[in-house]
Amino acid sequence: MNTATAAIPSNEVVRFAKFLLQELKPRGKWLTPFNIISIPVILLGLVILYFRFTLGLGSVTNLSQQYPFGFWISFDVMTGVALAGGAYVICFVVYVLRLEKYHSILKVTILNGLLAYIFYSGALLLDLGRPWHIINPIIGNSFGYNSVLFLVAWHFLLYTGALFLEFSPTIAEWAHWERLRKFLSGLTLGTVIVGITLSMLHQSGIGAMFLMAKPKIHPLWYSEYIPLLYFVSSIFGGLAMVIFEGTISSKVFSSLIGQKTHHSHDDIILGLAKGAAITMFVYYFFLAFIFIHGEKWDLINTRWGCWYLVEVIGFVLIPCFMFAYGVRNRRFGVIRTAAIMTVLGVILNRQNMALIAFNWYVPNKYYPSWEEITVTLMVVFVEIWVFRWVVTRMSVFSKE
Amino acid sequence: MTSGAMVEYYSYVNIFETKGLAYLLLLSFLVMGVLLIRYLSGPGRKDAAPGKKDPTSSG
Repeated sequence: MNTATAAIPSNEVVRFAKFLLQELKPRGKWLTPFNIISIPVILLGLVILYFRFTLGLGSVTNLSQQYPFGFWISFDVMTGVALAGGAYVICFVVYVLRLEKYHSILKVTILNGLLAYIFYSGALLLDLGRPWHIINPIIGNSFGYNSVLFLVAWHFLLYTGALFLEFSPTIAEWAHWERLRKFLSGLTLGTVIVGITLSMLHQSGIGAMFLMAKPKIHPLWYSEYIPLLYFVSSIFGGLAMVIFEGTISSKVFSSLIGQKTHHSHDDIILGLAKGAAITMFVYYFFLAFIFIHGEKWDLINTRWGCWYLVEVIGFVLIPCFMFAYGVRNRRFGVIRTAAIMTVLGVILNRQNMALIAFNWYVPNKYYPSWEEITVTLMVVFVEIWVFRWVVTRMSVFSKE
Repeated sequence: MTSGAMVEYYSYVNIFETKGLAYLLLLSFLVMGVLLIRYLSGPGRKDAAPGKKDPTSSG
């Protein structure tokens, strides 16, 4: 008998297996509007993935030599990771700034971040022609130390591990492993510090990948400061996503949330909106500095310039003012609308960088196929299914 | 005027070439940043009493 088997008694393994089977059984009503929409999309997505892995990328996507990556990368990986930025921001606010007010949303934000990284970074596997090569940066087969992708690959891996460790005390509590829960709780602070550092680095690292594609990106979107812009936009994008998700969760999972947390929810929303307003203000001025420093005046009076202004004025400056107005006047409807606009703005920015303004001079533009859009929807729906399963079984929302 | 001597010319300063606009933008950023923080930290709406809450509030 080896040490691991000796450490975990066989009756404990049997107990956990029975417990897990019990927990895997569905609860509640089956015929909900969300289930009716999501189940066919997930099934169709699985069929498309079957063809993708048996017949290759070309059978289901519009990718080509000119467009080696498309919607799966620009939406799932680029956008999903930016909007998961709320996890490291809230961890920083709670553990470093010691603002206890936000403690009640910590677990659910970490869970959202963890699932976003697992599903959206995991979606990278779909887009790689030879997905088994994803292990290369880890096992040392052509490490590629000088590549930004090497940095991003390691950061993704380590940060997903850090998020899992941060969430693991909740899993141990759910499984009734009290000693393990205490041990894992003791690791939290160190994990959080490592997690925040990794997250800041790879948010900017994703932007740094575009530095290699200078001739391909429209000059209005290209600058040497893309890494900085990606990092700052992940802060307010993450905060807006926390407001958006928190609003939905407080309605859908109302019975799981304690009375005290319900009452403090408005105060939390105001604090998050204030943070979003300030970071969006800084981001807007960064964009203005880059624009003026780069002397891009000639480019603004074109169709691309108008599109750029839609993004910068419509989805950065206006939501920034809306957040400020909403905080000052306690208008929660305005704050929620601003949060939705901000999330759309981050999505638009990442789509512009990776798809729309990428290869902007090419006559035959890339448009995602319906299969690509279906698989992306499938990834989002499966994530929501897993999120729902976890929050209805584990102690994620504060019961106070 | 003798030939070959340096002649001083006065020309209009082009704010786009001298980066003067960037300095003006920096100043406006600092001023507006202070104004934004003051606005966000202000007392806010006076009728935020429990009886007159925003109907979209969840608490």
